[in-house]
Amino acid sequence: MNYTRTEKNILALSCMAAIFLMGARTVHAMHIMEGYLPLAHCVGWDAVCLPFLAAGLIRIRKILNRSRRILILLAMSGAFVFVISSLKIPSVTGSCSHMTGTGLAAILFGPLVTSVLAVIVLVFQALLLAHGGLTTLGANTFSMGIIGPVLTWLLYLAGRKLKVNRKASVFLAAALGDLLTYCVTSLQLAAAYPDPVGGMASSAVRFLGVFAPTQLPLAVVEGLLTVLIVIGMEQFAEPELREISFLEAK
Amino acid sequence: MVTGILTMVVVWCLFYGRLPAAVLLLLGGGLGAALSLLGRHGSGQFLTIDILAQTSRLNRVSPLLKFWTALILMALCVSASSSFVGLFLTVFMLILIVCGGGLALHDYIHLLALPLSFLLLGGLALLFEVTVQRTGVLGIPVFGFWLCVSQAAQTRAMLVMARALGSLSCLYMLSLTTPMSDLIGVLRRIHCPELLIDLMYLIYRYIFILLSMYHAMRDAAASRLGFGDYRTSLRTTGNLYFSLLFRSYRQANRNFDAMESRCFDSGIRFLEDAGKIRGSHVLAAGALILLTLGLSIFFW
Repeated sequence: MNYTRTEKNILALSCMAAIFLMGARTVHAMHIMEGYLPLAHCVGWDAVCLPFLAAGLIRIRKILNRSRRILILLAMSGAFVFVISSLKIPSVTGSCSHMTGTGLAAILFGPLVTSVLAVIVLVFQALLLAHGGLTTLGANTFSMGIIGPVLTWLLYLAGRKLKVNRKASVFLAAALGDLLTYCVTSLQLAAAYPDPVGGMASSAVRFLGVFAPTQLPLAVVEGLLTVLIVIGMEQFAEPELREISFLEAK
Repeated sequence: MVTGILTMVVVWCLFYGRLPAAVLLLLGGGLGAALSLLGRHGSGQFLTIDILAQTSRLNRVSPLLKFWTALILMALCVSASSSFVGLFLTVFMLILIVCGGGLALHDYIHLLALPLSFLLLGGLALLFEVTVQRTGVLGIPVFGFWLCVSQAAQTRAMLVMARALGSLSCLYMLSLTTPMSDLIGVLRRIHCPELLIDLMYLIYRYIFILLSMYHAMRDAAASRLGFGDYRTSLRTTGNLYFSLLFRSYRQANRNFDAMESRCFDSGIRFLEDAGKIRGSHVLAAGALILLTLGLSIFFW
Protein backbone atom coordinates (compact mmCIF):
# COMPACT_ATOMS: atom_id res chain seq x y z
CA MET A 1 0.00 0.00 0.00
CA ASN A 2 2.77 2.43 0.92
CA TYR A 3 4.83 4.10 -1.73
CA THR A 4 8.56 4.36 -1.69
CA ARG A 5 10.00 7.83 -1.67
CA THR A 6 10.96 7.75 -5.35
CA GLU A 7 7.55 6.51 -6.39
CA LYS A 8 5.85 9.31 -4.49
CA ASN A 9 8.09 11.90 -6.05
CA ILE A 10 7.48 10.58 -9.54
CA LEU A 11 3.74 10.61 -9.03
CA ALA A 12 3.76 14.12 -7.53
CA LEU A 13 5.96 15.42 -10.33
CA SER A 14 3.80 13.87 -13.03
CA CYS A 15 0.68 15.40 -11.48
CA MET A 16 2.30 18.83 -11.42
CA ALA A 17 3.63 18.45 -14.94
CA ALA A 18 0.22 17.34 -16.18
CA ILE A 19 -1.55 20.29 -14.61
CA PHE A 20 0.89 22.87 -15.91
CA LEU A 21 1.33 21.28 -19.32
CA MET A 22 -2.42 21.33 -19.84
CA GLY A 23 -1.74 24.80 -21.16
CA ALA A 24 0.06 23.17 -24.06
CA ARG A 25 -3.06 21.68 -25.59
CA THR A 26 -6.22 23.24 -26.82
CA VAL A 27 -8.44 24.19 -23.94
CA HIS A 28 -11.96 25.39 -24.32
CA ALA A 29 -13.59 28.21 -22.47
CA MET A 30 -14.67 26.51 -19.33
CA HIS A 31 -18.07 25.00 -19.95
CA ILE A 32 -19.34 22.34 -17.59
CA MET A 33 -19.53 19.22 -19.72
CA GLU A 34 -22.63 17.16 -20.43
CA GLY A 35 -23.81 15.05 -17.52
CA TYR A 36 -21.42 16.52 -14.98
CA LEU A 37 -24.08 17.97 -12.70
CA PRO A 38 -26.78 16.01 -10.82
CA LEU A 39 -30.34 16.37 -12.10
CA ALA A 40 -31.53 18.67 -9.30
CA HIS A 41 -28.74 21.14 -10.03
CA CYS A 42 -29.43 21.07 -13.78
CA VAL A 43 -33.08 21.90 -13.26
CA GLY A 44 -32.25 24.52 -10.63
CA TRP A 45 -29.84 26.41 -12.87
CA ASP A 46 -32.30 26.20 -15.77
CA ALA A 47 -34.91 27.81 -13.55
CA VAL A 48 -32.53 30.56 -12.46
CA CYS A 49 -31.87 31.48 -16.11
CA LEU A 50 -35.50 31.60 -17.22
CA PRO A 51 -36.39 35.12 -15.98
CA PHE A 52 -33.29 36.58 -17.63
CA LEU A 53 -34.08 34.88 -20.91
CA ALA A 54 -37.69 36.01 -20.81
CA ALA A 55 -36.61 39.58 -20.10
CA GLY A 56 -34.07 39.35 -22.92
CA LEU A 57 -36.64 38.08 -25.41
CA ILE A 58 -39.07 40.84 -24.45
CA ARG A 59 -36.33 43.39 -24.85
CA ILE A 60 -35.38 42.07 -28.30
CA ARG A 61 -39.04 42.10 -29.35
CA LYS A 62 -39.28 45.74 -28.29
CA ILE A 63 -36.18 46.62 -30.29
CA LEU A 64 -37.54 44.71 -33.28
CA ASN A 65 -40.75 46.71 -33.23
CA ARG A 66 -38.63 49.76 -33.89
CA SER A 67 -36.74 48.20 -36.77
CA ARG A 68 -36.84 44.65 -38.08
CA ARG A 69 -33.41 45.01 -39.62
CA ILE A 70 -32.01 44.43 -36.17
CA LEU A 71 -33.07 40.78 -36.23
CA ILE A 72 -30.43 40.19 -38.87
CA LEU A 73 -27.82 42.23 -37.03
CA LEU A 74 -28.50 40.31 -33.82
CA ALA A 75 -28.30 36.99 -35.63
CA MET A 76 -24.99 38.04 -37.15
CA SER A 77 -23.74 39.02 -33.71
CA GLY A 78 -24.80 35.66 -32.29
CA ALA A 79 -22.97 33.87 -35.08
CA PHE A 80 -19.98 36.09 -34.39
CA VAL A 81 -19.97 35.15 -30.70
CA PHE A 82 -20.17 31.48 -31.67
CA VAL A 83 -17.32 31.79 -34.15
CA ILE A 84 -14.92 33.69 -31.91
CA SER A 85 -15.68 31.46 -28.95
CA SER A 86 -14.72 28.41 -30.97
CA LEU A 87 -11.64 29.78 -32.73
CA LYS A 88 -8.19 29.43 -31.29
CA ILE A 89 -6.61 32.59 -29.96
CA PRO A 90 -2.94 33.07 -29.24
CA SER A 91 -2.41 32.53 -25.54
CA VAL A 92 0.41 33.55 -23.25
CA THR A 93 1.92 30.13 -22.75
CA GLY A 94 2.03 29.53 -26.49
CA SER A 95 -0.97 27.27 -26.17
CA CYS A 96 -4.39 27.72 -27.68
CA SER A 97 -7.51 28.81 -25.94
CA HIS A 98 -10.85 30.37 -26.78
CA MET A 99 -12.63 33.57 -25.87
CA THR A 100 -16.04 33.48 -24.29
CA GLY A 101 -17.11 36.40 -26.46
CA THR A 102 -20.01 37.17 -24.18
CA GLY A 103 -18.16 40.04 -22.52
CA LEU A 104 -17.89 41.70 -25.89
CA ALA A 105 -21.58 41.09 -26.54
CA ALA A 106 -22.47 42.57 -23.15
CA ILE A 107 -20.52 45.75 -23.92
CA LEU A 108 -22.11 46.03 -27.35
CA PHE A 109 -25.72 45.03 -26.63
CA GLY A 110 -26.24 45.02 -22.87
CA PRO A 111 -26.68 41.98 -20.62
CA LEU A 112 -30.33 41.12 -21.40
CA VAL A 113 -29.85 40.68 -25.14
CA THR A 114 -26.58 38.92 -24.44
CA SER A 115 -28.28 36.28 -22.33
CA VAL A 116 -30.52 35.28 -25.25
CA LEU A 117 -27.61 35.19 -27.68
CA ALA A 118 -25.55 33.23 -25.15
CA VAL A 119 -28.14 30.51 -24.68
CA ILE A 120 -28.38 29.98 -28.45
CA VAL A 121 -24.62 29.95 -28.80
CA LEU A 122 -24.34 27.44 -25.95
CA VAL A 123 -26.93 25.14 -27.56
CA PHE A 124 -24.95 25.24 -30.80
CA GLN A 125 -21.69 24.66 -28.99
CA ALA A 126 -23.16 21.65 -27.23
CA LEU A 127 -24.60 20.18 -30.42
CA LEU A 128 -21.96 21.13 -32.98
CA LEU A 129 -18.78 21.07 -30.91
CA ALA A 130 -19.71 18.83 -27.94
CA HIS A 131 -18.66 21.73 -25.82
CA GLY A 132 -20.83 22.10 -22.74
CA GLY A 133 -24.07 20.16 -22.87
CA LEU A 134 -27.84 20.11 -22.85
CA THR A 135 -28.25 19.02 -19.22
CA THR A 136 -25.73 21.63 -18.08
CA LEU A 137 -27.15 24.32 -20.36
CA GLY A 138 -28.71 26.25 -17.48
CA ALA A 139 -25.55 26.26 -15.37
CA ASN A 140 -23.39 27.32 -18.31
CA THR A 141 -25.84 30.00 -19.38
CA PHE A 142 -25.86 31.39 -15.88
CA SER A 143 -22.08 31.62 -15.59
CA MET A 144 -21.22 32.58 -19.17
CA GLY A 145 -24.34 34.32 -20.38
CA ILE A 146 -25.67 36.10 -17.32
CA ILE A 147 -23.31 36.66 -14.40
CA GLY A 148 -20.15 37.38 -16.42
CA PRO A 149 -21.85 39.74 -18.88
CA VAL A 150 -23.70 41.56 -16.08
CA LEU A 151 -20.41 42.28 -14.30
CA THR A 152 -18.77 43.33 -17.58
CA TRP A 153 -21.68 45.63 -18.37
CA LEU A 154 -21.67 47.20 -14.90
CA LEU A 155 -17.92 47.76 -14.91
CA TYR A 156 -18.08 49.21 -18.40
CA LEU A 157 -20.89 51.59 -17.39
CA ALA A 158 -19.03 52.59 -14.24
CA GLY A 159 -15.90 53.22 -16.28
CA ARG A 160 -17.84 55.47 -18.62
CA LYS A 161 -19.48 57.38 -15.77
CA LEU A 162 -16.18 57.89 -13.99
CA LYS A 163 -14.46 58.87 -17.23
CA VAL A 164 -11.76 56.24 -16.86
CA ASN A 165 -9.57 55.68 -19.90
CA ARG A 166 -11.79 53.80 -22.38
CA LYS A 167 -9.29 51.12 -23.22
CA ALA A 168 -8.60 50.45 -19.56
CA SER A 169 -12.27 50.22 -18.67
CA VAL A 170 -13.09 47.89 -21.56
CA PHE A 171 -10.09 45.73 -20.71
CA LEU A 172 -10.98 45.52 -17.03
CA ALA A 173 -14.64 44.90 -17.73
CA ALA A 174 -13.99 42.05 -20.16
CA ALA A 175 -11.16 40.44 -18.19
CA LEU A 176 -12.96 40.57 -14.85
CA GLY A 177 -16.19 39.34 -16.43
CA ASP A 178 -14.27 36.38 -17.79
CA LEU A 179 -12.70 35.73 -14.39
CA LEU A 180 -16.09 35.86 -12.72
CA THR A 181 -17.44 33.35 -15.23
CA TYR A 182 -14.65 30.97 -14.29
CA CYS A 183 -15.17 31.52 -10.55
CA VAL A 184 -18.92 30.97 -10.83
CA THR A 185 -18.36 27.78 -12.81
CA SER A 186 -16.03 26.52 -10.09
CA LEU A 187 -18.62 27.40 -7.46
CA GLN A 188 -21.32 25.59 -9.42
CA LEU A 189 -19.13 22.50 -9.56
CA ALA A 190 -18.33 22.82 -5.87
CA ALA A 191 -22.01 23.22 -4.97
CA ALA A 192 -22.75 20.00 -6.84
CA TYR A 193 -19.81 18.11 -5.37
CA PRO A 194 -18.98 19.56 -1.95
CA ASP A 195 -16.09 18.15 -0.02
CA PRO A 196 -17.20 15.51 2.52
CA VAL A 197 -14.90 17.07 5.13
CA GLY A 198 -14.25 20.70 4.19
CA GLY A 199 -17.63 21.38 2.59
CA MET A 200 -18.26 23.58 -0.40
CA ALA A 201 -15.46 26.08 0.24
CA SER A 202 -12.66 23.56 0.18
CA SER A 203 -14.11 21.91 -2.90
CA ALA A 204 -14.41 25.30 -4.63
CA VAL A 205 -10.76 26.05 -3.94
CA ARG A 206 -9.79 22.78 -5.57
CA PHE A 207 -11.85 23.41 -8.71
CA LEU A 208 -10.49 26.96 -8.91
CA GLY A 209 -6.95 25.66 -8.56
CA VAL A 210 -7.24 22.92 -11.13
CA PHE A 211 -8.61 25.21 -13.84
CA ALA A 212 -6.54 28.30 -12.95
CA PRO A 213 -3.54 27.59 -15.22
CA THR A 214 -5.73 27.71 -18.31
CA GLN A 215 -8.27 30.29 -17.24
CA LEU A 216 -6.14 33.11 -15.79
CA PRO A 217 -4.12 33.82 -18.96
CA LEU A 218 -7.32 33.48 -20.95
CA ALA A 219 -8.96 36.32 -19.03
CA VAL A 220 -6.07 38.66 -19.88
CA VAL A 221 -6.13 37.75 -23.56
CA GLU A 222 -9.90 38.07 -23.66
CA GLY A 223 -9.59 41.57 -22.20
CA LEU A 224 -6.96 42.63 -24.73
CA LEU A 225 -8.89 41.31 -27.73
CA THR A 226 -12.14 42.86 -26.54
CA VAL A 227 -10.42 46.24 -26.35
CA LEU A 228 -9.21 45.92 -29.94
CA ILE A 229 -12.65 44.88 -31.21
CA VAL A 230 -14.71 47.44 -29.29
CA ILE A 231 -12.47 50.35 -30.19
CA GLY A 232 -12.49 49.30 -33.84
CA MET A 233 -16.26 48.88 -33.96
CA GLU A 234 -16.88 52.27 -32.40
CA GLN A 235 -14.67 53.92 -34.97
CA PHE A 236 -15.96 52.19 -38.06
CA ALA A 237 -19.39 50.70 -37.47
CA GLU A 238 -21.21 53.35 -35.52
CA PRO A 239 -24.46 53.33 -37.56
CA GLU A 240 -24.97 49.61 -37.04
CA LEU A 241 -24.20 49.81 -33.34
CA ARG A 242 -26.50 52.75 -32.90
CA GLU A 243 -29.24 50.67 -34.42
CA ILE A 244 -28.81 47.92 -31.85
CA SER A 245 -29.21 50.65 -29.26
CA PHE A 246 -25.83 50.18 -27.72
CA LEU A 247 -24.78 53.77 -28.25
CA GLU A 248 -28.08 55.33 -27.29
CA ALA A 249 -27.14 55.38 -23.63
CA LYS A 250 -24.31 57.76 -24.46
CA MET B 1 0.68 13.38 -25.22
CA VAL B 2 -0.25 15.53 -22.24
CA THR B 3 -3.77 14.14 -22.29
CA GLY B 4 -2.27 10.69 -22.34
CA ILE B 5 -0.18 11.34 -19.23
CA LEU B 6 -3.10 12.97 -17.48
CA THR B 7 -5.37 10.06 -18.32
CA MET B 8 -2.79 7.71 -16.90
CA VAL B 9 -2.58 9.70 -13.66
CA VAL B 10 -6.36 9.90 -13.28
CA VAL B 11 -6.93 6.23 -14.02
CA TRP B 12 -4.17 5.33 -11.59
CA CYS B 13 -5.72 7.41 -8.81
CA LEU B 14 -9.23 6.22 -9.63
CA PHE B 15 -8.51 2.53 -9.24
CA TYR B 16 -5.58 2.64 -6.83
CA GLY B 17 -6.01 0.04 -4.13
CA ARG B 18 -8.85 -1.66 -5.99
CA LEU B 19 -6.95 -3.43 -8.69
CA PRO B 20 -3.57 -5.16 -8.56
CA ALA B 21 -0.69 -2.86 -9.50
CA ALA B 22 0.14 -4.70 -12.72
CA VAL B 23 -3.42 -4.49 -14.07
CA LEU B 24 -3.55 -0.85 -13.02
CA LEU B 25 -0.34 -0.02 -14.82
CA LEU B 26 -1.51 -1.83 -17.94
CA LEU B 27 -4.93 -0.15 -17.90
CA GLY B 28 -3.61 3.36 -17.25
CA GLY B 29 -0.72 3.03 -19.65
CA GLY B 30 -2.88 1.45 -22.34
CA LEU B 31 -5.57 4.12 -22.14
CA GLY B 32 -3.01 6.90 -22.00
CA ALA B 33 -1.09 5.58 -24.99
CA ALA B 34 -4.27 4.94 -26.96
CA LEU B 35 -5.45 8.50 -26.38
CA SER B 36 -2.16 10.14 -27.25
CA LEU B 37 -2.07 8.10 -30.46
CA LEU B 38 -5.70 8.81 -31.31
CA GLY B 39 -5.25 12.50 -30.56
CA ARG B 40 -3.20 12.86 -33.72
CA HIS B 41 -5.97 11.49 -35.87
CA GLY B 42 -8.14 14.57 -35.57
CA SER B 43 -9.30 15.54 -39.05
CA GLY B 44 -8.61 19.16 -38.12
CA GLN B 45 -11.86 20.12 -39.78
CA PHE B 46 -14.15 22.59 -38.10
CA LEU B 47 -17.75 21.58 -37.31
CA THR B 48 -17.07 17.89 -38.00
CA ILE B 49 -20.20 16.95 -36.09
CA ASP B 50 -22.39 18.89 -38.50
CA ILE B 51 -20.92 17.08 -41.52
CA LEU B 52 -21.22 13.69 -39.83
CA ALA B 53 -24.86 14.37 -38.92
CA GLN B 54 -25.73 15.06 -42.55
CA THR B 55 -24.27 11.74 -43.68
CA SER B 56 -25.46 9.53 -40.82
CA ARG B 57 -27.62 6.55 -41.73
CA LEU B 58 -29.86 7.36 -38.76
CA ASN B 59 -30.83 10.83 -39.93
CA ARG B 60 -34.12 9.55 -41.37
CA VAL B 61 -35.34 8.54 -37.90
CA SER B 62 -37.80 11.12 -36.61
CA PRO B 63 -35.86 13.94 -34.93
CA LEU B 64 -38.68 14.46 -32.44
CA LEU B 65 -38.32 10.88 -31.24
CA LYS B 66 -34.53 11.15 -31.02
CA PHE B 67 -34.78 14.44 -29.14
CA TRP B 68 -37.08 13.12 -26.42
CA THR B 69 -35.27 9.80 -26.15
CA ALA B 70 -31.95 11.59 -25.70
CA LEU B 71 -33.36 13.95 -23.09
CA ILE B 72 -35.04 11.21 -21.06
CA LEU B 73 -31.94 9.00 -21.20
CA MET B 74 -29.75 11.92 -20.11
CA ALA B 75 -32.05 12.65 -17.18
CA LEU B 76 -31.98 8.97 -16.16
CA CYS B 77 -28.20 8.90 -16.56
CA VAL B 78 -27.44 11.95 -14.42
CA SER B 79 -29.83 10.86 -11.68
CA ALA B 80 -28.52 7.29 -11.54
CA SER B 81 -26.64 6.40 -8.39
CA SER B 82 -24.49 3.70 -9.95
CA SER B 83 -21.82 4.03 -12.61
CA PHE B 84 -23.24 1.03 -14.44
CA VAL B 85 -26.02 3.09 -16.03
CA GLY B 86 -23.52 5.56 -17.49
CA LEU B 87 -21.24 2.81 -18.74
CA PHE B 88 -24.17 0.89 -20.23
CA LEU B 89 -25.31 3.98 -22.16
CA THR B 90 -21.76 4.70 -23.31
CA VAL B 91 -21.34 1.22 -24.74
CA PHE B 92 -24.86 1.07 -26.17
CA MET B 93 -24.57 4.41 -27.93
CA LEU B 94 -21.15 3.50 -29.27
CA ILE B 95 -22.63 0.39 -30.87
CA LEU B 96 -25.69 2.28 -32.09
CA ILE B 97 -23.77 5.16 -33.62
CA VAL B 98 -20.97 3.08 -35.12
CA CYS B 99 -22.98 0.09 -36.35
CA GLY B 100 -26.37 1.73 -36.85
CA GLY B 101 -25.26 5.18 -37.97
CA GLY B 102 -22.26 4.03 -39.98
CA LEU B 103 -19.71 6.30 -38.32
CA ALA B 104 -16.08 5.15 -38.30
CA LEU B 105 -15.04 3.90 -34.86
CA HIS B 106 -11.88 5.99 -34.62
CA ASP B 107 -13.84 9.13 -35.55
CA TYR B 108 -16.29 8.42 -32.75
CA ILE B 109 -13.57 7.79 -30.20
CA HIS B 110 -11.86 10.98 -31.24
CA LEU B 111 -15.15 12.83 -30.67
CA LEU B 112 -15.61 11.20 -27.28
CA ALA B 113 -12.19 12.49 -26.31
CA LEU B 114 -13.11 16.12 -27.09
CA PRO B 115 -14.30 17.14 -23.61
CA LEU B 116 -11.59 14.96 -22.09
CA SER B 117 -9.52 17.82 -20.69
CA PHE B 118 -12.52 19.01 -18.69
CA LEU B 119 -13.37 15.50 -17.57
CA LEU B 120 -9.81 14.76 -16.42
CA LEU B 121 -9.16 18.08 -14.69
CA GLY B 122 -12.52 17.92 -12.98
CA GLY B 123 -11.72 14.33 -12.04
CA LEU B 124 -8.47 15.43 -10.40
CA ALA B 125 -10.36 18.06 -8.40
CA LEU B 126 -12.88 15.45 -7.28
CA LEU B 127 -10.26 12.89 -6.34
CA PHE B 128 -7.72 14.86 -4.37
CA GLU B 129 -8.25 16.64 -1.13
CA VAL B 130 -5.63 18.74 0.63
CA THR B 131 -5.10 17.64 4.21
CA VAL B 132 -2.52 18.19 6.90
CA GLN B 133 -2.29 14.50 7.72
CA ARG B 134 -2.11 11.57 5.41
CA THR B 135 -5.49 9.84 5.01
CA GLY B 136 -7.16 7.61 2.48
CA VAL B 137 -5.64 5.06 0.16
CA LEU B 138 -3.14 7.29 -1.59
CA GLY B 139 -1.20 10.31 -0.40
CA ILE B 140 1.29 12.61 -2.05
CA PRO B 141 3.26 15.11 0.04
CA VAL B 142 3.38 18.62 -1.40
CA PHE B 143 5.07 21.45 0.51
CA GLY B 144 4.21 20.13 3.96
CA PHE B 145 0.64 19.19 3.01
CA TRP B 146 -0.79 15.97 1.72
CA LEU B 147 -2.77 15.51 -1.46
CA CYS B 148 -4.93 12.55 -0.50
CA VAL B 149 -7.32 10.26 -2.32
CA SER B 150 -9.93 8.54 -0.20
CA GLN B 151 -12.04 5.56 -1.13
CA ALA B 152 -15.22 7.64 -1.02
CA ALA B 153 -13.68 10.19 -3.37
CA GLN B 154 -12.73 7.40 -5.77
CA THR B 155 -16.29 6.09 -5.82
CA ARG B 156 -17.70 9.55 -6.33
CA ALA B 157 -15.27 10.49 -9.09
CA MET B 158 -16.03 7.23 -10.87
CA LEU B 159 -19.77 7.85 -10.64
CA VAL B 160 -19.46 11.42 -11.92
CA MET B 161 -17.23 10.43 -14.81
CA ALA B 162 -19.51 7.55 -15.77
CA ARG B 163 -22.55 9.84 -15.71
CA ALA B 164 -20.73 12.41 -17.82
CA LEU B 165 -19.63 9.81 -20.38
CA GLY B 166 -23.11 8.28 -20.52
CA SER B 167 -24.92 11.53 -21.11
CA LEU B 168 -22.25 12.71 -23.53
CA SER B 169 -22.98 9.55 -25.52
CA CYS B 170 -26.70 10.38 -25.50
CA LEU B 171 -25.87 13.88 -26.70
CA TYR B 172 -23.84 12.38 -29.54
CA MET B 173 -26.69 10.02 -30.38
CA LEU B 174 -28.74 13.15 -31.00
CA SER B 175 -26.18 15.50 -32.51
CA LEU B 176 -24.32 12.99 -34.70
CA THR B 177 -27.48 11.70 -36.34
CA THR B 178 -29.65 14.79 -36.62
CA PRO B 179 -28.90 17.75 -38.91
CA MET B 180 -29.27 21.11 -37.17
CA SER B 181 -32.21 22.23 -39.31
CA ASP B 182 -34.20 19.18 -38.16
CA LEU B 183 -33.35 19.95 -34.53
CA ILE B 184 -34.52 23.53 -34.86
CA GLY B 185 -37.69 22.11 -36.44
CA VAL B 186 -38.17 20.04 -33.29
CA LEU B 187 -37.86 23.16 -31.16
CA ARG B 188 -40.56 24.76 -33.29
CA ARG B 189 -42.79 21.72 -32.78
CA ILE B 190 -42.42 21.94 -29.00
CA HIS B 191 -43.42 25.62 -29.13
CA CYS B 192 -40.25 27.47 -28.31
CA PRO B 193 -40.73 31.23 -28.79
CA GLU B 194 -40.84 32.08 -32.50
CA LEU B 195 -38.25 34.81 -32.06
CA LEU B 196 -35.76 32.35 -30.58
CA ILE B 197 -36.31 29.91 -33.44
CA ASP B 198 -35.78 32.61 -36.08
CA LEU B 199 -32.60 33.74 -34.36
CA MET B 200 -31.36 30.15 -34.21
CA TYR B 201 -31.99 29.54 -37.90
CA LEU B 202 -30.22 32.72 -38.89
CA ILE B 203 -27.32 32.23 -36.50
CA TYR B 204 -26.78 28.69 -37.75
CA ARG B 205 -26.61 29.87 -41.35
CA TYR B 206 -24.40 32.85 -40.58
CA ILE B 207 -21.88 30.69 -38.75
CA PHE B 208 -20.79 29.26 -42.08
CA ILE B 209 -20.61 32.65 -43.79
CA LEU B 210 -18.51 34.02 -40.96
CA LEU B 211 -16.23 31.01 -40.89
CA SER B 212 -15.38 31.20 -44.58
CA MET B 213 -14.85 34.96 -44.26
CA TYR B 214 -12.60 34.36 -41.28
CA HIS B 215 -10.54 31.68 -42.96
CA ALA B 216 -9.91 33.87 -46.01
CA MET B 217 -8.81 36.79 -43.84
CA ARG B 218 -6.69 34.64 -41.57
CA ASP B 219 -4.85 33.11 -44.50
CA ALA B 220 -4.27 36.55 -45.97
CA ALA B 221 -2.90 37.79 -42.64
CA ALA B 222 -0.76 34.70 -42.16
CA SER B 223 0.79 35.02 -45.62
CA ARG B 224 1.86 38.56 -44.65
CA LEU B 225 3.57 37.33 -41.45
CA GLY B 226 0.68 38.51 -39.32
CA PHE B 227 1.30 35.76 -36.79
CA GLY B 228 5.07 36.26 -36.61
CA ASP B 229 5.51 36.76 -32.89
CA TYR B 230 3.20 36.83 -29.93
CA ARG B 231 2.57 40.59 -29.92
CA THR B 232 1.84 40.69 -33.61
CA SER B 233 -0.43 37.68 -33.51
CA LEU B 234 -2.47 39.19 -30.70
CA ARG B 235 -2.87 42.41 -32.65
CA THR B 236 -3.67 40.51 -35.84
CA THR B 237 -6.29 38.42 -34.05
CA GLY B 238 -7.92 41.55 -32.64
CA ASN B 239 -7.98 43.20 -36.05
CA LEU B 240 -9.28 40.03 -37.67
CA TYR B 241 -12.16 39.74 -35.23
CA PHE B 242 -13.02 43.37 -35.56
CA SER B 243 -13.06 43.27 -39.37
CA LEU B 244 -15.05 40.06 -39.19
CA LEU B 245 -17.73 41.75 -37.10
CA PHE B 246 -17.63 44.88 -39.22
CA ARG B 247 -17.88 43.02 -42.53
CA SER B 248 -20.54 40.71 -41.18
CA TYR B 249 -22.69 43.71 -40.30
CA ARG B 250 -22.36 44.99 -43.84
CA GLN B 251 -23.34 41.54 -45.07
CA ALA B 252 -26.29 41.46 -42.67
CA ASN B 253 -27.55 44.77 -44.00
CA ARG B 254 -27.36 43.48 -47.57
CA ASN B 255 -29.20 40.33 -46.52
CA PHE B 256 -31.95 42.31 -44.94
CA ASP B 257 -32.36 44.45 -48.04
CA ALA B 258 -32.66 41.26 -50.07
CA MET B 259 -35.24 39.85 -47.68
CA GLU B 260 -37.26 43.02 -47.58
CA SER B 261 -37.35 43.26 -51.35
CA ARG B 262 -38.89 39.77 -51.28
CA CYS B 263 -41.67 40.92 -48.92
CA PHE B 264 -40.23 39.71 -45.61
CA ASP B 265 -42.57 40.73 -42.81
CA SER B 266 -41.85 38.34 -39.96
CA GLY B 267 -41.16 34.69 -39.36
CA ILE B 268 -38.73 32.70 -41.44
CA ARG B 269 -39.95 29.43 -42.91
CA PHE B 270 -37.83 26.59 -44.20
CA LEU B 271 -38.88 23.42 -45.91
CA GLU B 272 -38.87 20.66 -43.34
CA ASP B 273 -37.93 17.28 -44.64
CA ALA B 274 -37.47 15.39 -41.41
CA GLY B 275 -38.22 11.69 -40.99
CA LYS B 276 -41.64 10.65 -39.74
CA ILE B 277 -42.23 8.79 -36.49
CA ARG B 278 -42.41 5.05 -37.11
CA GLY B 279 -43.91 2.47 -34.80
CA SER B 280 -40.83 0.25 -34.74
CA HIS B 281 -38.60 3.18 -33.81
CA VAL B 282 -40.93 4.20 -30.98
CA LEU B 283 -40.92 0.62 -29.68
CA ALA B 284 -37.12 0.46 -29.80
CA ALA B 285 -36.74 3.80 -28.03
CA GLY B 286 -39.29 2.79 -25.40
CA ALA B 287 -37.50 -0.49 -24.80
CA LEU B 288 -34.17 1.31 -24.40
CA ILE B 289 -35.64 3.77 -21.92
CA LEU B 290 -37.29 0.98 -19.91
CA LEU B 291 -34.05 -1.00 -19.90
CA THR B 292 -32.09 2.02 -18.63
CA LEU B 293 -34.75 2.70 -16.02
CA GLY B 294 -34.62 -0.94 -14.94
CA LEU B 295 -30.83 -0.80 -14.67
CA SER B 296 -30.87 2.36 -12.58
CA ILE B 297 -33.48 0.89 -10.21
CA PHE B 298 -31.68 -2.44 -10.01
CA PHE B 299 -28.33 -0.84 -9.15
CA TRP B 300 -29.81 1.84 -6.87
